[in-house]
Amino acid sequence: MPLYLSPRIDPTVQSVLDETTLMAQLSDALGSPLGVVLPQQLTGNVAAFRSIFSAHRLSGQIYFAHKANRSSALVRELAATDAGIDVASLAELQHALGAGFVPQRIMATGPKNEEFLWLAARSGITVSADSVGELATLATLVTKWSLPRVRVMARLSGFASTGAQLNSRRSRFGVSAAAASEVFDVIEKHADALDLVGVAFHLDTIGLPEKAVALEGCLVALDECRRRGLRPWSVDIGGGFGVDYLADGTQWEQYTSALTEAVLGRRAPLTWNGHGYGLRAEGGHVRGSLNLYPAHRPLSGPAYLDRLLRTTSPELRRPLGTLLLDNMYELHLEPGRALLDQCGLVLASVLEVRDEANGDTIVRLDCNARDVSLEEHGVLMDPVVVHRTTSAGPGPVGVYLFGNLCLEADLITRRKVFLPSRPRTGDLLAFVNTAGYLMDFSATQALRQPIGRKAALFRNDGAWRWCLDEQYWPVHHRAEAP
Amino acid sequence: MRFETMTDAIGNTPLVRIDPAVHGLRNITLYAKMELLNPFGSLKDRAAWNMARPLLTQAVERGDTVVELSSGNTAKALAVIAGMHGLSFRSVTNRMKVAEIKDLLLLLGAEIDELPGQAECLDPTDTDDPLTRMYHRLAESGGGYLHTDQYFNELNVDAHLNGTGPEIVKDLDGRAPDYFIACVGTAGSSTGVATALRQHNPDVRVVGLVAHKSDFIPGIRTIDEVHEVGLFDPDVYDTVETITADDAIDGLLTLVRRCGTLAGPTGGGAYQGAVRHLRAIDAQLTEHRTAVFIVCDRVESYMSYLRERRPELFGRPPRRNSLRTVTDADVRRAATMQVAEAERWIAEGRGLVVDLRSPFAYQALHIDGSINIVDELFAELLHGGLPFGRRQPVLLVCPVGEKSARYAALLTRMGHPDARSLDGGIIAWRDAGAELVRD
Ligand SMILES: Cc1ncc(COP(=O)(O)O)c(C=O)c1O
Ligand SMILES: Cc1ncc(COP(=O)(O)O)c(C=O)c1O
Repeated sequence: MPLYLSPRIDPTVQSVLDETTLMAQLSDALGSPLGVVLPQQLTGNVAAFRSIFSAHRLSGQIYFAHKANRSSALVRELAATDAGIDVASLAELQHALGAGFVPQRIMATGPKNEEFLWLAARSGITVSADSVGELATLATLVTKWSLPRVRVMARLSGFASTGAQLNSRRSRFGVSAAAASEVFDVIEKHADALDLVGVAFHLDTIGLPEKAVALEGCLVALDECRRRGLRPWSVDIGGGFGVDYLADGTQWEQYTSALTEAVLGRRAPLTWNGHGYGLRAEGGHVRGSLNLYPAHRPLSGPAYLDRLLRTTSPELRRPLGTLLLDNMYELHLEPGRALLDQCGLVLASVLEVRDEANGDTIVRLDCNARDVSLEEHGVLMDPVVVHRTTSAGPGPVGVYLFGNLCLEADLITRRKVFLPSRPRTGDLLAFVNTAGYLMDFSATQALRQPIGRKAALFRNDGAWRWCLDEQYWPVHHRAEAP
Repeated sequence: MRFETMTDAIGNTPLVRIDPAVHGLRNITLYAKMELLNPFGSLKDRAAWNMARPLLTQAVERGDTVVELSSGNTAKALAVIAGMHGLSFRSVTNRMKVAEIKDLLLLLGAEIDELPGQAECLDPTDTDDPLTRMYHRLAESGGGYLHTDQYFNELNVDAHLNGTGPEIVKDLDGRAPDYFIACVGTAGSSTGVATALRQHNPDVRVVGLVAHKSDFIPGIRTIDEVHEVGLFDPDVYDTVETITADDAIDGLLTLVRRCGTLAGPTGGGAYQGAVRHLRAIDAQLTEHRTAVFIVCDRVESYMSYLRERRPELFGRPPRRNSLRTVTDADVRRAATMQVAEAERWIAEGRGLVVDLRSPFAYQALHIDGSINIVDELFAELLHGGLPFGRRQPVLLVCPVGEKSARYAALLTRMGHPDARSLDGGIIAWRDAGAELVRD
């Protein structure tokens, strides 16, 4: 029984995969690996988040977390929508400004150096301050350079819960909610330089209860602002809405059950060297916990936001969305991964298919584990085989995917992957839905192997067209009349 | 029956025959071991007491805190036992999923430590499961804790090996039943009882029940999780079968409605799992057999669990003057007032302004002179009739003017001649630059 983990593929991505000739041409021309982004998919994703805003009668902005992908095409296409962008470095800010985002649509997050703060203040974007020190530095810059008053948000963390002690993972970022008054003191002190427009958090968790506590903590902090006479109107709840990577929840359940059995030695290993993804056997029992992204995540993206807004606030006992609206607050988001759902794929060409003496089949690819960092991010999903001609033999086959680095550890995934048909040398494997963090997030030039190129694929005049990522702009010229 | 202390009332629960007219088995007599009648409410009273008792004297001398990884019955029993001995109790849990149990634990004086959810951006170096993390924390603290360790403590099994199991044999006149069916949480009860029964009859068939993989049944493990349990030994069970939350609730309903047994979900699951397993056997039988299953705890703690999964069980008759009966046409006919007109109307003191937002939002900023009746409360009041006179003009205020329009329509239908809604709500009011105050 092949244990598939079939990726969820929307009709547009499927229509790209069906263009086998185009895929092969792109790979031949631009090399392997090749990152392919589909900028036009962003419009629908933005709209899906917007529809949750309107269902809750909330206004506010969706700031795309740029860090999830460095592509220019994606950022430029996004500039053509009504969304905003969250930049976390000087270069990302320059990139956003250059792509056409006006300052009102840009938010700077994360820890910042002086240059980043200066350009932020000079260009007039909103700064989500990570610490009290950062606010002080910003105020000094504004005064020294006679810059206009900067719109700031205060990022808070370490929210306390009541009743049961709800532990949240400790964050390196933001100001402890208990010390929020220090932030407001600094802002009041520098009232001519800093204009507080709201408070923010970003929690690295999929847990709704922690986010509910944090959102409520922000409402309490804003109330403190009201008491002081400050008038901020927004709450930024960060990112972390997640993506559902798999087409079929049953496959995920079967796979994870089988993995448990394999770790216990009750069935043949499913992974290279019996790797357990966090699970291990001790005296016939499984210990540890499955250290993987929950690839099957039916409640993700906009639906996750909806659930959060419907969640009853632990102390104030009213749905969080209703509380935001009652208070006339705007809601801001910083989705990265979720906004890039179905926005890209990585093509890798097959260098060799060989059967080992021990029965394992090896598929060696012209890319390495960092070009498509499935393992690093714990996302388990199968690639799609794009045959140039026909299958090399009846499927399915269970294979290990080796990378092109001369390193024992360079496996694209440590999992034995079941492919519905056997590939030949020169065929392509497409890793779909990799635009969010998986594509070239951690690609390196180790062993002088080149970093893959990036191409943008778009529909124009009823056909798929492509260009290099840096050549892409949302204006598409009509094909010349024949 | 006269006892010195409540813990003396633990155990010696009745074994009660289930009416064959209910289960429909012809050749098998089915008994329920009524563990729900233990003094703190469940079968876990036995394990909690057996694990804690030998350590209590020392713990009391040192003033230790009792800790356990539990979000349910073990925590409840330990919280009571700790309280009886002047000790505090801390429950460490992945997630409290049943609200009533959490509240009960807080009422008993327990501290609850909930572990964080999974990271969205994966940290591959983080391989600790909650259990390992708790062990680390206990080790770091260097004492001060009485950790009962229910998933690995043999005294958990012994409580049933020396108590529950022999009681069943005694009540069956010295004979072990032919079949024994139990849900598996820590595996303590099923392992202890199975071992005791097999000492009398090595041929007893033991069925372990776990939750279906994607289901949650409070108190027991899923088919995958069960392998993480230190006390779980697959050889104890002749078969391990899964039950769904639906099975558990169906069984619960049968027990509470027809058998005079106020069982919780795992009792229901055990009944349902038992009947399902035995029905196939019953059809082949020519001679008589006996079977025993365990009813672990009581239904009262699971109301929110049941309400969430079977809302129809709690259906109440519709109440009068309900907002749900207001149609879109009613709303379109409702009278509204623009911000500019409202400013004058309020300044001239022409009527009552009711702000339907939450008290928290009202207190932060509101229209001067308005009173706050949050929408839920307002709805509740309207079920009883108009809360103000008909000659009293009313302006309703909500965030965007949608809810207030529905209430204005409802008031109109209830016969109020001058109930209006602030057009665009308080957000339009703010955006027009009209004054908002805070007391
Ligand atoms: C401050 C901040 N906002 C937003 C995000 C985006 O998170 P995600 O891609 O999970 O939506 C991140 C991710 O690290 C972040 O640090
Ligand atoms: C409601 C309920 N049913 C069944 C069980 C299973 O008992 P055991 O832990 O002995 O396997 C538990 C244990 O926590 C429980 O709380």
